[in-house]
Amino acid sequence: MAAYHVVMVHFPIALWLVAGLAIFIRGVSAGAIGQSFDKALPTLLVGGLIFGAVAWGLGLSVWPWETLSATPMGRNHMLLASWSWAYFALLTWLRLRHGAAIWQGLNRLLMVGLAGIGVVFVGITGTLGGHLVGNYTEVGQVLRLLGWEIYTTFYVPDLALWVIVAVSVVLLALGVLGRGGPRKAG
Amino acid sequence: MQSPKSLLALALFGGTLVFAWVTHGTGVVIDDADRNIAIPSDLTVPLQVQAAYNNTTMFFRYRWPAERPGIFHDVLRYQDGEWIREGRAVPGSQPDGLHEDRVAMMLDDGSVPEFGRYGGYIAIGDGLAGLTDEAPEEVTKYLPQTRNSLGQWDDMAGDDTIAAQRAAGYFLDLWHWRGGRSNPINVADDQVIAAARGGDVGRSSYGTNWDGDLNQPQMMFAAGHDTLQWDAILAGAVTQDDTYALTPVTAVPFDPEAGWQNGDVVPRRVLRTPEGSRADIGVVGEGRWEDGYWDVTLSRALDTGAPEDDKILRDQGAYQVAFAIHRNATGGRWHYVSLPATLGLGRPGDIVATQFQGRTPTWGEDWTDVTLFYPGQVTWPMLNSAEHAGAESIAEGVPVAFRHSPEQLANYGIEREFQPQIRRQWLFTLLAGVALIATFGFALSSTLSNREGA
Repeated sequence: MAAYHVVMVHFPIALWLVAGLAIFIRGVSAGAIGQSFDKALPTLLVGGLIFGAVAWGLGLSVWPWETLSATPMGRNHMLLASWSWAYFALLTWLRLRHGAAIWQGLNRLLMVGLAGIGVVFVGITGTLGGHLVGNYTEVGQVLRLLGWEIYTTFYVPDLALWVIVAVSVVLLALGVLGRGGPRKAG
Repeated sequence: MQSPKSLLALALFGGTLVFAWVTHGTGVVIDDADRNIAIPSDLTVPLQVQAAYNNTTMFFRYRWPAERPGIFHDVLRYQDGEWIREGRAVPGSQPDGLHEDRVAMMLDDGSVPEFGRYGGYIAIGDGLAGLTDEAPEEVTKYLPQTRNSLGQWDDMAGDDTIAAQRAAGYFLDLWHWRGGRSNPINVADDQVIAAARGGDVGRSSYGTNWDGDLNQPQMMFAAGHDTLQWDAILAGAVTQDDTYALTPVTAVPFDPEAGWQNGDVVPRRVLRTPEGSRADIGVVGEGRWEDGYWDVTLSRALDTGAPEDDKILRDQGAYQVAFAIHRNATGGRWHYVSLPATLGLGRPGDIVATQFQGRTPTWGEDWTDVTLFYPGQVTWPMLNSAEHAGAESIAEGVPVAFRHSPEQLANYGIEREFQPQIRRQWLFTLLAGVALIATFGFALSSTLSNREGA
């Protein structure tokens, strides 16, 4: 399945990177070009999610779980791939749920920032996948300089796990509280 | 204006990402003596190698950094009428700075094909002493085919099979220089790795300086040599220019009435002239530590006449070698190792031995640089198991250097020492990250300002 995974991952990567570009252009331009990119955005994002899910599933079948979960690079690739998918699902949900409202006021800058983080996630995921099949890039060196040796598994200590859980609860509460506020269709 | 709640959500999300980045990789990799785990601060060490040969003799020169010279292995310290053994092996660095420095070289002529591709990894079977899951008895390095099944340290092949393997050259020649147990008498230990790691036929260069019946040393320094002091040893004040080893020249039988004082020390090893095939390797000049570096030159006959103990070397021959050093008062598996390299005698190789005329080579500054790395606990059975993504590549004969660098292998080796702990922490991190993203999306979607012109 490795070959199929390698073929398939190009689709979500391409779609998500173009989606990131579309969000950037729409974020800085409300003109005709920006509007055109915004119209294409749902297709790019939904397509990325579908192809991403297929690629993720194929990736799981490249090696048995025993192998994948024992290999630092395999672990890292899977972690970033999962986060990338979840993250673009977030962006997709925002775009589908709020429509043009995500471009109002400072929202558009927020979207540009979020898209930037998503592109970084996808970029690292792809880089790690390249390393796994023997295609090395200097991105790994950049990550080293930033503090992550990519040949070690990315994990956080228990304290950080508890912080993430606590922040997630707070975010959940914010979401529940936010649903009660005044809303207006986009 | 942006909704304050969405800004708060963004700040929490971003802050948590930063916190995760800053703290990642911590909290798990911690030394644990009970599990035989001690991670060195430096994961790689440079080694420089030169090689040369004349019509009869092979020479290797090694140079590597060491903060201080490890010239003592273990010692006996006098305290209140008793002799106390100091310098027992521990995981990692011995706290008193005891345990000798060493350089070792495995050598093969192609009779062990996997060695040229995977180096010393092939000799790390399950159950080796020093591993977290070490066998109940001391198991040393062994070659895979000396066992009936991979990973079963106690499932030995038959004696006839092992003898036939040895005659066919299925063994690794091991040159083993020791800063305390061989260097003071200008020899190195000639050893072999086959069904186990052991000495060649003959006698080693050291024995134990202890009389179990009398509970006292067997030998002490002869008159005219200063008695070693424990405080001086701890301070690193005893150098190679002092008398620090019991040799045939410096040792005399122990005298319990010699006026021993608390803090007096005698080495727990007494050196002797090695014999037989085990005595084949000599030290040229003297292995010296100076300005933070060891500089050691070893020599051995090209043809020792012991083809079942040594790899016979020939002009225009091609061989495989791998190196290891011990420093910082370490023993056992707490060494630094190299990937395998090729050695050519007058022909191309990673290391090219140059032919010369005369008794000893004139070394220039043309070194071969080798990166040594801490190997952690990576066993040959594991590398050939489903836990290693490259097991299939090994089966296909792909060399380790094709996919892995020394730096990479050092990190992988450490990860193996904490395999279940890291796997658990990674899985929780993955799931926590997904939860964070999901709740962030929910919060953002619920609080995003929809007001026109906001």
